[in-house]
Amino acid sequence: MTAIDTTHTQKHHDEGSYLDHRGLGFWGTIWDWASTVDHKKIGVMYLFAVLTMFFIGGVAGLAVRAELWEPMRTAEDGTTTGVLLNFGTPVQDPDTGEWIRSYDISPGQAGNTYNRTFTLHGAVMIFMFIVPAIPAALGNFFLPIMIGAKDVAFPKLNLFSWYVYVFGSLFGVIGLILGGADTGWTFYTPYSIQTDADYWRVTLMVLAAFILGFSSILTGLNFIVTTHKLRAPGMGWFDMPLFVWATYATSIIQVLATPVIGITLLLLIFERVFRIGIFDASMGGDPVLYQHFFWFYSHPVVYVMILHGIGIISELLTVHGRKHIFGYRAIAFSSLGIAGVSFLIWGHHLFAAMSPIAAMVFSALTFIVAVPTAIKVFNWIATLYKSSIAINTPMLYGLGFLFLFSIGGLTGLPLATLSTDLHLHDSYFVVAHFHYVMMGGTVIAFLGGLHHWWPKMFGRMYNEKAAMLGFALVFIGFNVTFFTQFFLGTQGMPRRYASYVDDFQTLHQISTVGSWILAIGLFIHLFTFLHSLFAGPKAPPNLWGGLSLEWEAESPPCAHNFHHEPLIKHGPYDYESVVPPHCSEEDFPLPKQRS
Amino acid sequence: MMQEVAAAAPDPLAAIKNPDLSLVQDSSAAQHLGGLVEKIFFRTGGQNPVAVNTDGLFLMIFWFSVFFFILLMALMVYWVIKYRRRPGVPAEPSPSHNGPLEILWTVVPSSAMILMFIFGFDGYMHKVVAPTNAIQLNVTGFKWDWKIKYPGGEQTTYRTSLGTKKGGVKIFVIPEDTPIKLVMTSNDVVHSFWVPDFRTKMDLYPNRFSTYTFHTEKLEPDELYRDHWIFCAEYCGNSHSEMYGIFRVVPRSDYNDVLNDWNAGSMTPVQMGEMLYKSNCISCHTTDGSPNIGPSWKNLFGYERAISGGTTVLADENYVLESVWYPTKKIAAGYEGQTMTNFSGILDQDQVAAIVAYMKTLSDKGGAPEGESTGGEDAGTNEEPMQDSTGG
Amino acid sequence: MSTINAHPSPGAKPMRWETYKHEHHWRSAADEFDAAKLGMWLFLTTEVLLFGGIFCSYAIFRMLYPDAFANGSGYLNWRIGTLNTVVLLFSSFTVAMSVRCAQLNKQRWLKINLSITLICAAAFLAIKGYFEYYPKLSAGKAPGAWFSYPWAHNPEEPIWWGIYYAGTGIHALHVIIGGGLILWVLVRSFKGIYGPKNYTMVETSGLYWHLVDLVWIFLFPLLYLIH
Repeated sequence: MTAIDTTHTQKHHDEGSYLDHRGLGFWGTIWDWASTVDHKKIGVMYLFAVLTMFFIGGVAGLAVRAELWEPMRTAEDGTTTGVLLNFGTPVQDPDTGEWIRSYDISPGQAGNTYNRTFTLHGAVMIFMFIVPAIPAALGNFFLPIMIGAKDVAFPKLNLFSWYVYVFGSLFGVIGLILGGADTGWTFYTPYSIQTDADYWRVTLMVLAAFILGFSSILTGLNFIVTTHKLRAPGMGWFDMPLFVWATYATSIIQVLATPVIGITLLLLIFERVFRIGIFDASMGGDPVLYQHFFWFYSHPVVYVMILHGIGIISELLTVHGRKHIFGYRAIAFSSLGIAGVSFLIWGHHLFAAMSPIAAMVFSALTFIVAVPTAIKVFNWIATLYKSSIAINTPMLYGLGFLFLFSIGGLTGLPLATLSTDLHLHDSYFVVAHFHYVMMGGTVIAFLGGLHHWWPKMFGRMYNEKAAMLGFALVFIGFNVTFFTQFFLGTQGMPRRYASYVDDFQTLHQISTVGSWILAIGLFIHLFTFLHSLFAGPKAPPNLWGGLSLEWEAESPPCAHNFHHEPLIKHGPYDYESVVPPHCSEEDFPLPKQRS
Repeated sequence: MMQEVAAAAPDPLAAIKNPDLSLVQDSSAAQHLGGLVEKIFFRTGGQNPVAVNTDGLFLMIFWFSVFFFILLMALMVYWVIKYRRRPGVPAEPSPSHNGPLEILWTVVPSSAMILMFIFGFDGYMHKVVAPTNAIQLNVTGFKWDWKIKYPGGEQTTYRTSLGTKKGGVKIFVIPEDTPIKLVMTSNDVVHSFWVPDFRTKMDLYPNRFSTYTFHTEKLEPDELYRDHWIFCAEYCGNSHSEMYGIFRVVPRSDYNDVLNDWNAGSMTPVQMGEMLYKSNCISCHTTDGSPNIGPSWKNLFGYERAISGGTTVLADENYVLESVWYPTKKIAAGYEGQTMTNFSGILDQDQVAAIVAYMKTLSDKGGAPEGESTGGEDAGTNEEPMQDSTGG
Repeated sequence: MSTINAHPSPGAKPMRWETYKHEHHWRSAADEFDAAKLGMWLFLTTEVLLFGGIFCSYAIFRMLYPDAFANGSGYLNWRIGTLNTVVLLFSSFTVAMSVRCAQLNKQRWLKINLSITLICAAAFLAIKGYFEYYPKLSAGKAPGAWFSYPWAHNPEEPIWWGIYYAGTGIHALHVIIGGGLILWVLVRSFKGIYGPKNYTMVETSGLYWHLVDLVWIFLFPLLYLIH
């Protein structure tokens, strides 16, 4: 019934790379990128934006750790020592009447600066970096190519989503320049209603998150329709790479969960501006209601972050192990299962604020989500069996993910367990747990995916040895920083503390040193990537020997991804029977017995 | 005659009032509380049965995790080495499914999860359901300190120093080997009352009560007292990390003496006022004219002060009472951006009267200082607390 | 069965809908149309979840303060609410008719139906603004901090008003957005862009409008009718 239109294929035969801007001139190139509806260019713009946000959030994180090197103490003369983030306060000199900057800071003022810094770290990292990172950057670039399409379902909507992201981030940046909020990225009421009463800062930050939510929704919507409607002929649901399944599950959560944070933040803004009172106990409202609304989104969103990373890991281990995935359907369905169950368990973020019955229900449900997650880890390790593993940076990141994500997931168990959670809630144990899953999981997967697909996206190869050194420092630095925090938590160190009792200083200092190692590793990656863009060797179309459709395209792909509509002749993991495109059987031999 | 006796007899509670902290990890008790692993995780093993149970459950999950983690990572490393890529050598075919294996690795984790849930729920119920003979302590959290009212209405007067908290950190004395129930509320934002040694916390909300319970430990024969940190564990603003408290566990016989000591009322109003200032007001108000979040109390009492909106008001007893109980009614000019906690559930009229007495000593318009009478006799200044006192 | 009007005379310029070409990344116009509908349904799901937050708040506070809520809904005039309901239901009918007109190439009736829908949207907002918001706000029945109605029965009435204004306000915002979409379609229909071969925008805007109507159908009884 649907006539397949082939009039366009001729046009793409001689197309150059999507990055080619010969003949456009400087302003022409700027306009080309600003007005593009090409999913690849939009993905690249998102990539640079989220990496910039990662940098900003990372600097804030380093500042937080640096402040915690020493606790605040009161010296003999009454001044406060041990404060690093001291920007001084303007005071009037009693003798001359002049306004001067005094660095004699009270503990409360020092605490205020620290609180703004950790809020900045959390808000930027969550809303502006990690939620959009894999979907908007890598998902945008590779989803259409992997299913053999020319673009996403709604290219103009895609560009619109990008501008919504920019617009939302702008609000956040303005809020930051005005001094930022000191509420924590969670904006818990009643504190977020009362603080900074004469400033619009909190409202600006909340508005920024609200606007960014729309970018997330529209991107997810676009991906769902793309997956349903734009698969190349011959590609059924079970012929898709697992990265596409992961994108699909992620997009479902984005579409269903994000509106709830939208209404929550909108109601919070109404609460601040109009004082409607629904979250304010003094007016009869309920602060715990805010927490329920907030976490109804914010729990599923952590699965947005990790499910997409999980999709990347499935690709890394198979391509660099030259082996099919163990349990394709288990991984595909467990992604959907996790997406579904994720909506039921938000209460585990507020066990200390609810009745025993509610706590019991949420604890029981939370344990359910552990099972499909564990099954995925087992499937990946089983994938390594009888594979052919190349030790390169993407593979190292894949293996590193297995290590770090396992620790992250396992440390979620005492948090789901009610009796231990009453001790560990709001302690450094939680901080360590979520950094292990979000950074040790998602960011590691993201870095692995970047190293895996960089040559495809930009046609340039990076220095492998430098990248591996970067990996080593990131891995070691990450563990030193965050493993110590488990012990800080169990020993009694609460989170969001600008200072602490002396007993905790040693562990804090170890953690801070770890953060410097981690930072150096990340900087190495930054320089390695930048260097490759300017002076890296040209990358062949399929240097890893991958079988999914992006490896059939050129490096970088042409403007419409493929010169001809792709014919689906094999599955994405048929390493035992198919020589990868653009590769020779010598380099990528097949086993003699074919199964 | 009495005075000579009083001067000669040593204070029997001097040892209990000692501001030096006796934390469990420094005490002789630490040696037999828990093994090496407990010490690494928790500083010492649990000091009461519920804490021991919590630690035991944590360690059960820990060893379960360690076992499977090492198993998985060992497999991973072993296979990475064994199956590393050799040029010209393809990967051998292998199955993509294994029914029995997949069932096994679904059933084993699921069963473990069920067990963890059951034990967790059981331990949790022991923390939130108090025995009927528990002593009830009424806890109020506010920015940035704790107030605990004992069953007889007593409140602590003991202090130690911890962190940068000005005015000292309160020591809340509790008897050993006794069940205690905390009934808690907040006066402003969300707080959380965490006693790490007892492995429990619960959030404090305004306009509602939350509760948990614990059973204090038996002290060692040579221990005079044992201290436990109290931390606020829900972010609440500038001095969230300075909101310390100390639970001091003392022998049963000393506990009642302590309560009597607190009840003694031997302070003059000015002394009481100064103590209340240090417990409640010092984080935002100075007494020497230097700037802080709120106006300084130096030369405050008795002066006309400008309030936002353009009018002025005389800072008399009524103004102070109204400012303490309903701070948003009149905001001092220049301080519009700040929100002062309302103390209407925390400081009663007698206490505000004591604060007024103290404030008067900080102002040259304060009048003659009050006599040596005990609190309550100045109540005359507060006959009509709610009168509007704008400009006379 | 279609009675597509042919051009007035042979050789006249074809209408823009007749020469419609689908975007080139689609394999067919039918695929593109299906995708647009799927996309709009997904977006409607997000809108349902957005309003879900308001309904959830309503449920919880109704449970906590039944008196304030019963009292509060007594302040609302159910007749005005019913009038608004009728207006919106009628506009849903006309927007559905406009889709049919586009499918049948009834260009004049397409524009008429769209115009009526727009008039209904404007009427809804006018009735709401003039007969409901304005008198209430003047009497002090305002949200939160501005609440100054001296004869309030319940200390929790500001919360009722907060939910009322948040719910109806966000809904009114969606009426404006929906109206904007319909206006856009109306303007473009004057250029002959919509017809049997291309009525995607008419259909998707219509879907959005139906959701706006549906949200009101839920808000109305909860706020106005239940006591």
